[in-house]
Amino acid sequence: MIEGEAVASAEKPLMRVPLVLNKRNFSWVTERIAGVIEANAPRWWWVAFAITSMVAAFGLFCLGYQISTGVGTWGLNHPVGWAWDITNFVFWIGIGHAGTLISAILFLLRQKWRTSINRAAEAMTLFAVICAAIFPGVHVGRVWMAWYLAPLPNNYGIWPNFRSPLLWDVFAVSTYFSVSVLFWYTGLIPDLATLRDRAKTKIKKLLYGIFAVGWRGSNRNWRHYEMAYLLLAGLSTPLVLSVHSVVSFDFATSIIPTWHTTIFPPYFVAGAIFGGFAMVLTLLVPARAIYKLHDIITPQHVDKMAKIILLTGSIVTYAYAMEFFVAWYSGNQYEKFAFYNRIFGPYWWYWWVGMLFCNMLSPQLFWFKACRRNIYIVYFVCMCVNAGMWFERFIIIVGGLHRDFLPSSWGMFYPTWVDIWTFIGTLGIFTSLFLLFIRYLPMIAMSEVKIVLPEANPHHAWPGEHHPVAAGGKERN
Amino acid sequence: MSERADVVPVPEGEYFEGSRFAGLSFILALVGLAGLALSVVGAFVSPHQFSFSWLFAFAFYFTLLAGCFFWIIVHHVTDAEWSVVVRRQLENLAMLLPLMAVFFIPVLLFRHHLYEWTNIAPGHDPVLDSKRAYLNWDFFVVRSIFYFVFFTSAAFLFRRFSVQQDRDGNPAYTLKMRKLAFIALPLFGASLTFGAYDWLLGIDYHWFSTMWGVYIFAGAAGSSMSLLVLVITALRKAGYLQETVTVEHYHIMGKWMLSFTVFWAYIGFSQYMLIWYANMPEETEYFIRRNTESWNALSLFLVIGRFFVPFAILLLRGPKKKPHRLCLIAGWIVFMQLVDIYIVILPALHGAGVLVSVWDFMPLIGIGATLAFFYLRIVGKTSLFPVRDPRVLESLRTTN
Repeated sequence: MIEGEAVASAEKPLMRVPLVLNKRNFSWVTERIAGVIEANAPRWWWVAFAITSMVAAFGLFCLGYQISTGVGTWGLNHPVGWAWDITNFVFWIGIGHAGTLISAILFLLRQKWRTSINRAAEAMTLFAVICAAIFPGVHVGRVWMAWYLAPLPNNYGIWPNFRSPLLWDVFAVSTYFSVSVLFWYTGLIPDLATLRDRAKTKIKKLLYGIFAVGWRGSNRNWRHYEMAYLLLAGLSTPLVLSVHSVVSFDFATSIIPTWHTTIFPPYFVAGAIFGGFAMVLTLLVPARAIYKLHDIITPQHVDKMAKIILLTGSIVTYAYAMEFFVAWYSGNQYEKFAFYNRIFGPYWWYWWVGMLFCNMLSPQLFWFKACRRNIYIVYFVCMCVNAGMWFERFIIIVGGLHRDFLPSSWGMFYPTWVDIWTFIGTLGIFTSLFLLFIRYLPMIAMSEVKIVLPEANPHHAWPGEHHPVAAGGKERN
Repeated sequence: MSERADVVPVPEGEYFEGSRFAGLSFILALVGLAGLALSVVGAFVSPHQFSFSWLFAFAFYFTLLAGCFFWIIVHHVTDAEWSVVVRRQLENLAMLLPLMAVFFIPVLLFRHHLYEWTNIAPGHDPVLDSKRAYLNWDFFVVRSIFYFVFFTSAAFLFRRFSVQQDRDGNPAYTLKMRKLAFIALPLFGASLTFGAYDWLLGIDYHWFSTMWGVYIFAGAAGSSMSLLVLVITALRKAGYLQETVTVEHYHIMGKWMLSFTVFWAYIGFSQYMLIWYANMPEETEYFIRRNTESWNALSLFLVIGRFFVPFAILLLRGPKKKPHRLCLIAGWIVFMQLVDIYIVILPALHGAGVLVSVWDFMPLIGIGATLAFFYLRIVGKTSLFPVRDPRVLESLRTTN
């Protein structure tokens, strides 16, 4: 026989915790989230925005300088002809994946906890893709010729090379961006209508009204909305896989040791989701603290995101291990050397710190619930992953190039100040856009959070109550 | 949330009456014995062909059962609700993995036919010599023992905890199984990957692909979900699980079949495309053999049959919600898994083109019937679903 106490203690971890804590009702959700936008911008916002926009501006200056002077302003040289530019591109495009995973795949998997974080994650996706798109555009050198990458009809005599993975990149990234914008905007419509209805000035009413495209919250509106949302989720799901797979093809279709390996597509996708979730937490943990959103983004949400980081981090670790194993197993001396060089070569510390510590070891803390529930540890791991994923791309790209087949063609990469500040500039662009987003748009999908509240169920009643609380009911505490 | 809890009562356990199917059991035993006996004949008459045929049948069933094991782990680590009512059948199927250890013995005995590297003395092939630290017979056997010990003990424990919970309904078992699943997950990944390298990739010891483990996994997971659909439908046809497994569960299983159909295609395409594009002789040899002679037709059939056909059908909602239609597709996917494994193994033997031998069928029938026979013995021992699982009610009223 088992003691009743033991049963009770086992039941506790099995209980489903509500997605919104403290029995917050519809009205509270609207007030809290719309209130962020309707209140005046707090001082910290202005300070932060001033700093990030200045950094962004300097980044744009660097881009202008590079375009007007030439790619020689970067540290690229023989044999490393691709370095920070493509590292940054892959880094940013990877960040975006978490947003699409949360909004599309978790939607299809009926994971209701996504509602608290999907809006901000999707916005982050768009901003990350914007940052990413800068690099392939400018790294071609003559940026005014970048339109050659577009799939032009052959009668223009341009003949785009459809066999080039760089061309596939253009297709993949532009499709991804378009679908992500549509998906994000579709989800925003009911919330924009809420903001329109609450707007106190005419100009705000007009602007939110235009973007809410006449939403009235009618049954027919919702029916169309839900169908559109489902279809866009279905369309976005393969994009989560395809975009980073195509990015991985940039490397894997070549025959350069460490670049050409068949596991690259799923390995890159897992790495992208890994880095993306770390960035979602990096942004949302402070936002939650500043705007007191602990009842919506609960420990349960952080816990689940930490688990996804652990899962994807472990998949990435698996891929690293397979790369090493097969490099050895293949018996190919170039592969063997390249991987030996990765660990003990001149860029050794990038591997030891970036890949080993940040990407492989630090997420393993999330096996333990105590670590997933400790926000400082979660934040520490996220920072490790953010850095680690940048290092990983650098090692793959520069690590593959700096030791050519002939030792006479060996070299190193040294970034210039333009390299460094262009990257820091994109961090500025990213954070500036995110700050603008939390100022002007609801950072949490109000309508979707309301759907997962117990009150949304028509049969729901709190114990001891006879009447379910209707929308806009009084605050209860 | 709670409204249907009043409508759906806590179910009684359902028990499979083995006596009703004594005839079927007898036939299966007979067929199994006959198949295995004829396999022994094959081993003497045509040992080279037999060894490949046996490995083919072994790998087919092994991937199916390992896939079932994978779905048990997924159920526990994600704390899923919907799959509670079908989980017992996964546990029963995974309990057949210990039998696969027995069926692995011929692979060990016929190693000199299957694995060329076991015939080459050191000093003759520098590529092989460079990987002897991994590809040597002792280590091969140790690894294989490790895989089977892992699969057997974990499958046994999962089923044991689950059955114990049937008795007293203690939720502590759920937590135990979850812990076990977390431990089993990385070990499963390692075992399936290196099992795939050792047993399948080892046929051609020169060839390599980092994707190989993922490719074998993708086929295994999708086809085992299809196998689950077939098993559940067979039980329903026999009159069981009528109120327990609903059309909603079929819908979810259908969605998983769709996702893994796509995933298999994604992994298969990536592996093929990257090797085709880079065009390095040491890698292309694998696909050149499978893209020439009549193997090319079979490979194209695999691409169309394993991806395009089920993808087009499963994309629709209708077939996923109609158990009998879903069963047709599930059967098709399991058949395509057979074709997939065939294309992995047999070209090494018949490089000049597809040559189906009578000895291909004997192990397939022998092992299959024996597994089915033991399945019928296992399935009657416990309730057909985990009747006192803490999430069984949620599972019963799953909607999606």
